Amino acid sequence: MNNYNFPSLRINLLLIREMERLSICEHRSSGGLWGSRVVHTCSAPAIPAGRITALQAVDLWKNHFTERGVMEPDHSSLYIMAYLLGAKTVKSLEQEKLSEFLSPEKTEQMWKLCSRRLSRMPVQYVIEEWDFRDLTLKMRPPVFIPRPETEELVELMLNDLEMKPGTGIGADSQHTCLEVGCGSGAISLSLLKSLPQLKVTALDQSQDAVDLTRANTCNKLFLLNDRLQIHCLDVMKDAETVLSLCRHVSTLLLFFSYKIVFDHAALDGGKDGLKVIKQILTLAPQILSNHGRVYLEVDPRHPPLIQRWVEVNPKFRVCLFLFVRPRFCILRKEKSNKYHKLDLD
Amino acid sequence: MAFRRALDLLPKGRLWVSHFQKSPNVIGPNVTLLDWTTRTTRTTRTTRTTRALHIAAGPLAGARLLSVDELFAKRSLQEHLEKLETEYSERLRAASSEDDEPRAKRANVALLAPLVHSIRELDSKQREKAETEALLRDEDPALRELAELEYEGCLRDIQDLRQKILDLLLPEEEDDLSDLVLEVTAGVGGQEAMLFTDEVFDMYQGYARHHGWSFDILEHVASDIGQRIQSYKRMKFEAGVHRVQRVPRTEKQGRMHTSTMTVAVLPQPTEISLTINSKDLRIETKRASGAGGQHVNTTDSAVRIVHLPTGVVAECQQERSQIKNKEKAMKALRAKLYSRKLEEVTSRRYNQRKVQIGTKGRSEKIRTYNLSQDRITDHRIGLTLHDTRSFLLGEELLDQMNSSLQEFSDQEALEELLGETQRDGT
Repeated sequence: MNNYNFPSLRINLLLIREMERLSICEHRSSGGLWGSRVVHTCSAPAIPAGRITALQAVDLWKNHFTERGVMEPDHSSLYIMAYLLGAKTVKSLEQEKLSEFLSPEKTEQMWKLCSRRLSRMPVQYVIEEWDFRDLTLKMRPPVFIPRPETEELVELMLNDLEMKPGTGIGADSQHTCLEVGCGSGAISLSLLKSLPQLKVTALDQSQDAVDLTRANTCNKLFLLNDRLQIHCLDVMKDAETVLSLCRHVSTLLLFFSYKIVFDHAALDGGKDGLKVIKQILTLAPQILSNHGRVYLEVDPRHPPLIQRWVEVNPKFRVCLFLFVRPRFCILRKEKSNKYHKLDLD
Repeated sequence: MAFRRALDLLPKGRLWVSHFQKSPNVIGPNVTLLDWTTRTTRTTRTTRTTRALHIAAGPLAGARLLSVDELFAKRSLQEHLEKLETEYSERLRAASSEDDEPRAKRANVALLAPLVHSIRELDSKQREKAETEALLRDEDPALRELAELEYEGCLRDIQDLRQKILDLLLPEEEDDLSDLVLEVTAGVGGQEAMLFTDEVFDMYQGYARHHGWSFDILEHVASDIGQRIQSYKRMKFEAGVHRVQRVPRTEKQGRMHTSTMTVAVLPQPTEISLTINSKDLRIETKRASGAGGQHVNTTDSAVRIVHLPTGVVAECQQERSQIKNKEKAMKALRAKLYSRKLEEVTSRRYNQRKVQIGTKGRSEKIRTYNLSQDRITDHRIGLTLHDTRSFLLGEELLDQMNSSLQEFSDQEALEELLGETQRDGT
């Protein structure tokens, strides 16, 4: 069954199996399941009649999460409470605050949020925010939640960008980037924050993602002079438009988020995901300047396949390969057709 | 929003404890309060009220704090000062005679110069005092009056110079200038110990606020808490085991419990002095992993770093961003490694000191907080203060205790310095 063509069927299937396959519920955090914000409140404990302290509420819910098989029961409970009390983590709150009684409104909110968590909604969607590097971003289903590993990819990119002087024509040697599949905008915004000279074009085929990225640009003082452009485009279907947007821009780096790849990879062994990667790599030479790079975060099975594909496509002209982590892949565009291996050291 | 408290009112650098320490904290059993007026500086003429203060006849009460005059009456100090003057003249000669390495020689001279100048100033003031003394018995009342004023002025100047000399004598310790990492751990006593640990942690936060230091919570894992404060010089005296005796809130039968907690103070090194090779580190994080594209959206961004050669571990789960946790864990690791290195170096140096304030490390029981009798006793100097509630705010009372500790430590350092001179002399 090709699940991709029948999304509603897939959701139904998962709902039926929710009780048994808890891991899949966690896995399906990004996608249609949460689009409708379905909340199962029937299994939530009753709100206590008397007042309770924050700590008591945390304990109560932790136990309930554990009973119901919700993953990371203690973290879930603590993060939600911290958010309610205006902090990021419970540890940054004073002990007294946690021993104070919660107001009825706060108690109700705690129950509301925790019930969402009970239905396996990830914490980041429950509290509608999360941190990425030094930014706090809004999170909204169905847009993908950035992962901790991606923070390292950004670190790598920053190191590379800082080391290289600009190769632009103008005196101010600006770097420009294209992000395909920006999601919540985490990667683009992180780069823009750290590099005041950088300009980024962000694409996503989902309007939800484009909207969320826009929402995350609000109140970001470092985003002056329109340094970020966001478009709703599909790199498979709108290749020409993408090229026209970027061709005249001397793009130095191109990075690609793996969410699409994962969705495909999970269901069909990666073949469809690989299709998108191949499309990116086909377009890359026309977008990148010389020595421009492609940064990919993909499924661990992909890099060897990508390498092989690149090697047998000499006309491709994007070569050079770097394994930093099982999921990271960095390619550099070379002028010549020679293939060299990039040494990290 | 991250809950960070940062007050940066005072400039960084050394806190001149000498300005604070003119408070009549410690008095030997035989000396009355009056003696202390001779030790106050010009600015703090009024004697401080010794609120609820008494000296316990502790094991170290015998090691009492000497006044400046007593110190200067010591033969060993006089000899030491003479020795320094001689050394200074030699260095001066060496610097002016030869030409090779003139800068180094001049530096040598410059090191001793302020001290020697003060010594010479003191000598001239003493002579002045002697001369004025003669005039005090003069027949002319107007002259007598003038002489009295002069005489008082001389006495004040002599006091100031003596204090200045004492300050200059003691070498500044390298670590006194650095930031530090404070680690608070609950010891024996279960729940009660943990509660007490939290209270002491709050006290130190209050202390930091009181002094206008900025601090940052690095780690907060169950009963382990880390914190950075800007003055190692003061906080080093807090290191050791603190003991609390009280009837806990949870106790139904009203029995007295004793529990302990440990404070470790680690100076935070500058980036240069300690290099950690990234190859020696194993960084552990909760990784989303799995075959077939499956992944789990984890909120666990805790990072744990193990330094493989030494086995030192630092972890942090303070932040929601994993990379931020990694930075903080690295900071904590660096501090721990530095403190280990430091302990090796200093353990030899300080073995002779009797009181050993701040250097014995984690095992020494340094202070008892007896809440039912409302007293706090520091065993190293035999000082007892009252009003535990105010003490635990981390303000003036803790300051008082800390200053006394500082004074004792300084005196010991001086004795050690002079002791060495005597040995060299013979």
